[in-house]
Amino acid sequence: MSAAPVPVTSDVDDPSIRAPLVLGRQNFATVSDSVSTIVERKAPKTWFLLLGLALSILAILGGSLVDLVWKGVGRWGNNHPVGWAWDITGFVFWIGIGHAGTLISAILFLFRQKWRTSINRAAEAMTIFAVMAAGIYPAFHVGRVWLLYWVFPFPNQMSVWPNFKSPLLWDVFAVSTYATVSILFWFVGLVPDLATLRDRATTRTRQIVFGIFALGWRGSHRHWLNYERAYMILAGLSTPLVLSVHTIVSFDFAVSVMPGWHTTIFPPYFVAGAVFSGFAMVLTLMIIVRKAFGLEHLLTKRHLENMCKIILATGSMVGYAYAMEFFIAWYSGNDYERYAFVNRAFGPYKWAYWTMVSCNVICPQLFWFKKIRTSIPAIFVISIFVNIGMWFERFVIIVTSLHRDFIPSSWGYFRPTLIDISTFFGTFGLFLTMFLLFLKFLPSIAISEVKGVMPAADPHHHDDRHEAHEGLTGGTGNEDHHESDPEAVHA
Amino acid sequence: MSKELTHAARGPQDIAKLTPEQAKKVVTFGAVAAVVGLAVAGAAFAADKQRFAFSYLVGFMFVTTIGLGALMFVLIQHVVRAGWSVGPRRQMEWITGILPWTVALFVPVAMTAHTLYEEWMGPNGHTDKAIAKKLGYLNPSFFFTRAAVFFAAWALLSWWFSKTSAAQDDAKKPGEITLKMSAVSAPSIFVVGVTLTFAAFDWLMSLDPKWYSTIFGVYIFAGGFWSSLALLALVTLYLQGKGFFAKVSTVEHRHDIGKLLFGFTVFWAYIAFSQFFLIWYANIPEETIFFKHRWIDSWQTVSMTLLFGHFVIPFLWLLPRTIKRHKLGLGIAAAWCLVMHYVDMYWLVMPNLDHHGAHFTWIDLGGLLGPVGVATLAIALRASKGNLFPVGDPRLPEAIRLQNL
Repeated sequence: MSAAPVPVTSDVDDPSIRAPLVLGRQNFATVSDSVSTIVERKAPKTWFLLLGLALSILAILGGSLVDLVWKGVGRWGNNHPVGWAWDITGFVFWIGIGHAGTLISAILFLFRQKWRTSINRAAEAMTIFAVMAAGIYPAFHVGRVWLLYWVFPFPNQMSVWPNFKSPLLWDVFAVSTYATVSILFWFVGLVPDLATLRDRATTRTRQIVFGIFALGWRGSHRHWLNYERAYMILAGLSTPLVLSVHTIVSFDFAVSVMPGWHTTIFPPYFVAGAVFSGFAMVLTLMIIVRKAFGLEHLLTKRHLENMCKIILATGSMVGYAYAMEFFIAWYSGNDYERYAFVNRAFGPYKWAYWTMVSCNVICPQLFWFKKIRTSIPAIFVISIFVNIGMWFERFVIIVTSLHRDFIPSSWGYFRPTLIDISTFFGTFGLFLTMFLLFLKFLPSIAISEVKGVMPAADPHHHDDRHEAHEGLTGGTGNEDHHESDPEAVHA
Repeated sequence: MSKELTHAARGPQDIAKLTPEQAKKVVTFGAVAAVVGLAVAGAAFAADKQRFAFSYLVGFMFVTTIGLGALMFVLIQHVVRAGWSVGPRRQMEWITGILPWTVALFVPVAMTAHTLYEEWMGPNGHTDKAIAKKLGYLNPSFFFTRAAVFFAAWALLSWWFSKTSAAQDDAKKPGEITLKMSAVSAPSIFVVGVTLTFAAFDWLMSLDPKWYSTIFGVYIFAGGFWSSLALLALVTLYLQGKGFFAKVSTVEHRHDIGKLLFGFTVFWAYIAFSQFFLIWYANIPEETIFFKHRWIDSWQTVSMTLLFGHFVIPFLWLLPRTIKRHKLGLGIAAAWCLVMHYVDMYWLVMPNLDHHGAHFTWIDLGGLLGPVGVATLAIALRASKGNLFPVGDPRLPEAIRLQNL
């Protein structure tokens, strides 16, 4: 093995070797550098431009919500018979986006998928921001947002309790647990990297701020041992959590007796769809990030290709679920079930239905072709289509099932109001603002984890040149105080 | 290949082939199992034709789902370029050996189809308004055509993947064969996913043609995959106990198989709970009838056995790392899981016959032992031929290096 040349591209198809996850002649110091400098250097002009744009969109959200609170929830277009529309669509859309982060950080970790290391940090950050964006909807749909704490069951003098039989209450538990564990998981993973930034700090403020959040991390063996244990436990806990969240979101609909909502495949179908949409969002964002910050050697084409394959797999699962729903609606022989699906595909919302099918079922099938899943422009376009398709999926499920009630006098056609549109548009402002701040102020790639998957970190690695250790006194962990010494790198 | 082995993999290699005597013993064991199984099944058939039809369907579905689970395992290992499972994959290829035999095993089902599927195959199908609506799908000629397609697809995939994997053992360019299997496995997962789903609808769900559930295919997949892992664990433990596999399949691989078994214990429970919970909560009569039938008298006990035996007990048992690595610990779990998979199939089929409560008889044993005997022979025939692990797989050194730190 020692004699085999280290491949420098990610186009390795020889099954006897694993494609490198970090390209070029990289060592631990250059990996630290390429990620840390994003935080340390002054942000590029484009970043300020984008932040300005994101803040403007965020302002639209603020304005919409003020209007909503001031004048009432009637400012949204929800009305009989469609009493639930863009609000819950937006909620499910954002919650779904978050799922990729946890899948990458927890499930791929348990399956020893080392390629996750380059994308997990940003994906987990995305998870948290997506959950924040999702939270906007239930929070403001209660009308008097200052009474939001009533969603939690607590003893009170009015003896008013939330309905424990309602999946909406289970959502409160599921989403808040999920958000808490996701933040913990993200933070635990950040600790060694924050210590790296602390040790490289050139200003006192940076040293103190990163120092506080690094929790006194010194990279000792005992620290690493505790870290790895905590990480494993959090991964184990997050795995059922990530399934539970979208399962309970699917219960919001599936426990009802509504044709189009009540079907047993909903839980796994929603989870697959959530992972599908989350990976699409990771791709959309990371394709820009890796280019903008020059991280192509850490987030290689191979990483993108792997994500495309996951999109293909989960997109096909979603397609399977659509097919099952249709087949069983027919097979059930129930006229209402059958009508709900015929109406979905050929009724007044057929445009939405076929947009959904084109984006979610047909579009990802293009990833069967290697040419397409290795072409960055193609991946970017398809990832956006998937994002669009997954928004439409929720819209189709929610609105088409409601708009024609059992009695034709209760039929209607939902049209969003300006505030519907501006609220949803505005949540992108929140999401992007948070994401841009994250990119600038925190290491957007897990430095210590990427080092762990480099050949030099393998105890079986016998490279006489000791490339990765050039200038270092040894060790594979956090000798970042060495790395911050510019001479050490070139020694 | 030896050049690529690191120090962990150096030294004498594992025995890759059974001696002719050992191979003969394996086949004899399989043949005896098949003969005994078929004899008991024959006696059961003679004793009570109607009951046997249902009992046999339980046994048939028991082995077919295990074979399909094994096939899915093989396909998934190829598609994700798995390194750890190179050794165990060969044992799973043996288990997929059940699939080409399922067409023969189906003959008694086909012969008794009018008893099993009386509700829609019989005259009632045309008079009952709710069933008449679905006769476009549920009619004997389409039913048997579909079955033929399923068997052809499964036999072809089982045969091709085992043959290609065996050919790799002494191929000049084994890497290319790995790539070929990887490429074919992705679309094959589609084929198995769809055929498994409709087979589940046809052979199990249509026993009660008025009942329907969109998750049913996933439910059958979950149980099949889970029990194929349990059988893999038993085969692995047996071979390890006989002194084979000092390297390609060790305590580390056992641990990984145990982890997957644990994971799919939860996955099955998740799918089963989703199905139960949504039906229970919505409380629509045409759906709840399924669980209602399984809550009559002693069926309650069987339902609770599934809850605890198929989920709670194996979940708690397989949780500690020590158990998954312990020979006896994992062995008990694996045997238990196989029994529970049988209970699951029994619970799906038999309430359609025993409307007033579960009562297990020796006829049911005959229905089980027939297919199990034939399946044992099918696996034994594969195991007796060729190498015990894919000696030419380029990822073998990686599999040998596996460590669960």
